[in-house]
Amino acid sequence: MITISGLTKTFGNNAVLRGVDLHVDKGQSLVVIGGSGTGKSVLIKCIIGLITPDAGQIIIDGQDVTRSGHDNLLHRFGMLFQASALFDSLPVWENVCFRMLRSGQSRGDLRDLAAEKLRRVGLGPDVADKFPAELSGGMQKRVGLARAIAADPEIIFFDEPTAGLDPIMSGVINDLIREITTEMGATAITITHDMSSVHAIADQVAMIHDGVVQWHGNIGALDQTDDAHVRQFITGSATGPIPTLR
Amino acid sequence: MMRLLAMIGAATLGGLATVGRMALFTASTFRHLVTQPFYGREFGQALFQIGFLSLPVVGLTALFTGGALALQIYSGGARFSAEAVVPQIVAIGMVRELGPVLVGLMIAARVTSSIAAEIATMKVTEQIDALVTLSTHPMKYLTVPRVLAATLVMPALVGVGDIIGILGGYIVGTERLGFNAASYLQNTVDFLEQRDIVSSLVKGAVFGFIAALMGCYYGMKAGRGASGVGAATKGAVVAAAVLILVANLILTEAFFSI
Repeated sequence: MITISGLTKTFGNNAVLRGVDLHVDKGQSLVVIGGSGTGKSVLIKCIIGLITPDAGQIIIDGQDVTRSGHDNLLHRFGMLFQASALFDSLPVWENVCFRMLRSGQSRGDLRDLAAEKLRRVGLGPDVADKFPAELSGGMQKRVGLARAIAADPEIIFFDEPTAGLDPIMSGVINDLIREITTEMGATAITITHDMSSVHAIADQVAMIHDGVVQWHGNIGALDQTDDAHVRQFITGSATGPIPTLR
Repeated sequence: MMRLLAMIGAATLGGLATVGRMALFTASTFRHLVTQPFYGREFGQALFQIGFLSLPVVGLTALFTGGALALQIYSGGARFSAEAVVPQIVAIGMVRELGPVLVGLMIAARVTSSIAAEIATMKVTEQIDALVTLSTHPMKYLTVPRVLAATLVMPALVGVGDIIGILGGYIVGTERLGFNAASYLQNTVDFLEQRDIVSSLVKGAVFGFIAALMGCYYGMKAGRGASGVGAATKGAVVAAAVLILVANLILTEAFFSI
C-alpha cells in the first residue's frame, strides 16, 4: 500500500533522512520508533505531503506522490497530531467534522455524526459544543482521534499519540487506536518512543537511526532481535551504539 | 572594512529576500482569491472582527485627533490672522491625511497584531498542518477571508473616522473656539472636493489590504514556540505600519501631485 524508497531530506546542514526504505501493506499497522531528532516526524510529514523530500520515492497505492502530489489522496488520510492540533476557534463537533463542513451535508447531520464519532472514542455528546481549551489533554487527544477517523480514512497517521499523557490515559488511547484501526481495516503508521504504544499498536516495527531504517520486522521479532541499536532503545540503556548526547 | 561590507551585503540580501517572499505571498493571495472554494463563513467573521469591533478605537482616535487639530490650527492660524480657516483645514486634514493614516495605524495595531498572533499560534501548534491534512488550503481558509474583509471594510472605517474627526473639530470649534455651528458645517461641506473623499477611501482600502496581508504573512512564517509568535506579531505590526506610511506617500503623490 505504501512503499518508500531512498527518501532523503536535509534542513540546512542537517541531513535528517539519508535514504529511508520502508514498506507497509494494506491494513497493517507500522510503528516507527527512534530517538528524539532522528527524523520520525519528518518521515511522516513527507508521506502525508506536509514536507517535500529532497529525493526518493513515496508510492501510495501505486501512485508516486513525489511526482503527482498529495491533493487527490488527502481525503483518504486521517492524522492525529502530537498536541492534537484542534482548531481553538471552533467547537469540538466542528473540529471533528471539519472536512465535511463544506460537503453540502446539513449542520444538524454533521453534528450527529460528530456525536457518533465522539461516542466511539469514549466521549459524551455534551463535549460536542465545548471548545478545545475547555478540555483536558486526554480529552483533546480523543477529540483529535475522532477527527482523524471522522471521514473513515483508509490510511491513518499517529504522531506521538501518547505524548504528555499519564500511563492510564496512554493505555486507553493505545487501545482505542488498535480497536479503531482494526475495525476500520485502515493502514496505520504511528511514530512514537513509547514502548507500551509499540506493543499495543504495532503489527510491524521500524527503527530509524541516523537517517536510515536501522531495523524493520514483525512486532514478535522486536524483543528477540540482536540489533544493538534496538536493544539499547527498548531497554532504555544509556550505554550502547546510540549516543546519549544528541 | 571587509567585515563591514559583508555585513551590509548580508543585510541587503536578507532585505531583498524578504521583499521577494512578500511579493510571492501577495501573488499567492491573489491567485487563491480568484479560485474556489471561498470560505464565506470565515469572511463574515473577519468582516465582523476587523470592521465592527474596530469602530470604538477608530471613533475615539478620530474624535480626539479632530478636536486637537482644530485647536492647533486655531492657535497656529492666529499667528497670521487666519483663525477662520479651522473648518476647512480640519476637513481637508482629516479626510485627505489624518483619517486614513490614523485609522490605518490603529488597524495595524489592533488587527495586524491579532491576525499575526492567531495564525502564528496556529502554526506552532500544528493547526496549519492539520488544515492541510483536512484538504483545506491555509491560504484560502486563513489569508483570503481576512485580506478581502480588511480591504473591503477599511474604506467604511476610514469614512467613519473622517466624519467623527470632523465632528471632533466641530465640537471644539463651536464649544471652545466660538465658531457658529451652521457656518462651520457649511464651510466644511463647501470646501471638500470629491477627489478628497475618493482618495481617503482608496487609501483605506490599500491600508486595509496591507494590514491584513502583513498579519497573515508574518503569522504563516512564524518560527517555533512562544518567541516565534512574539517575533511574528512584532514584525507584522512594524511592517504594516511602515508600509502604510510608504503607501500613503505614494497615493498622496498619485492623487494630489501638482
